[in-house]
Amino acid sequence: MHEVSIAQSLLKIAVESCEKEGYKGIEEIKVKIGRASGLMPEALSFAFDAVKIGTIAEKASLTIDEIPVTGFCESCKSSFTVEEAYVISCPKCGDISIRVETGHELHVYEMDVF
Amino acid sequence: MKVKVVSHILEANDRIAAENRNVFHESGVYVINLMSAPGAGKTSLIERTIKELSSKLKIGVIEGDIAGKDDAKRIAKLGIPVVQINTGGACHLDANMINEVIADLPLKDLNLLIIENVGNLVCPAEFKVGEDMKVMLLSIAEGDDKPLKYPLMFQESSALILNKIDLLPYTNVSIEKIKKNSISLNKKLKIFEVSCKTGEGIRKWVEWLQSLIK
Repeated sequence: MHEVSIAQSLLKIAVESCEKEGYKGIEEIKVKIGRASGLMPEALSFAFDAVKIGTIAEKASLTIDEIPVTGFCESCKSSFTVEEAYVISCPKCGDISIRVETGHELHVYEMDVF
Repeated sequence: MKVKVVSHILEANDRIAAENRNVFHESGVYVINLMSAPGAGKTSLIERTIKELSSKLKIGVIEGDIAGKDDAKRIAKLGIPVVQINTGGACHLDANMINEVIADLPLKDLNLLIIENVGNLVCPAEFKVGEDMKVMLLSIAEGDDKPLKYPLMFQESSALILNKIDLLPYTNVSIEKIKKNSISLNKKLKIFEVSCKTGEGIRKWVEWLQSLIK
């Protein structure tokens, strides 16, 4: 629902770090979005295309790496990956002593600049 | 040319939230970020909490809504300092919106500040505003499937208040299922069952809240 404000924030991070290093423009911005972050990648791409107009990222593409929810079960000592946006028990043994390891990411991690 | 930038997208928000929190702490105010779907009873819970605690604590309120001043008027009637934020469409409050209204509240005179977020079970959970604790409200008529459909808010909150328990006889809702799935998502979650209409269960909630405020 708030993909526009997220798109504005990631654009700001990208533009500011690009300008600080003296680059003229951005061709690509790569972000990691966890499945548990509550963001829809399609809506984020749509919002990004709208907010980038008139900035040095006007021609930039947005590459979204979706990170699945993964975790580790303390009971059966195994790692797991789930399709859902959350996990409440180990998909293998059903125990609830689990540690969620990925899925909450919301990061800009790389840019292609000129 | 490829450049590495490892930066959290909400970093700017988190930075302002930390500034807000510093201001609140320096003034000695405990801050709650109260979240729920529209109509779950946030304003009613605030009214009940004020009635129970206003003789013991000095309370202030920030009301967040997309539009309108109705909630702030309800709170002002109780003689409590209140500021209304209208987000003009935004689905949540963010740290900057709170930062802009801090000066409008007599912080130094307050012990407790309740921030009522925009009614929405999704987005408010992601934005820190400078609170000490996130509290969520779920009215039982919303259904017992909500914890697993909207997990993030249940995971981010310290307390879950189940409101409108007076409606239980008229629904097929299993309060046990709500509790079980909520605890599965967040083992530290403290759960209260209340009816803001009848007042049932309110005392337990306010006593717990009061115990957190030095």
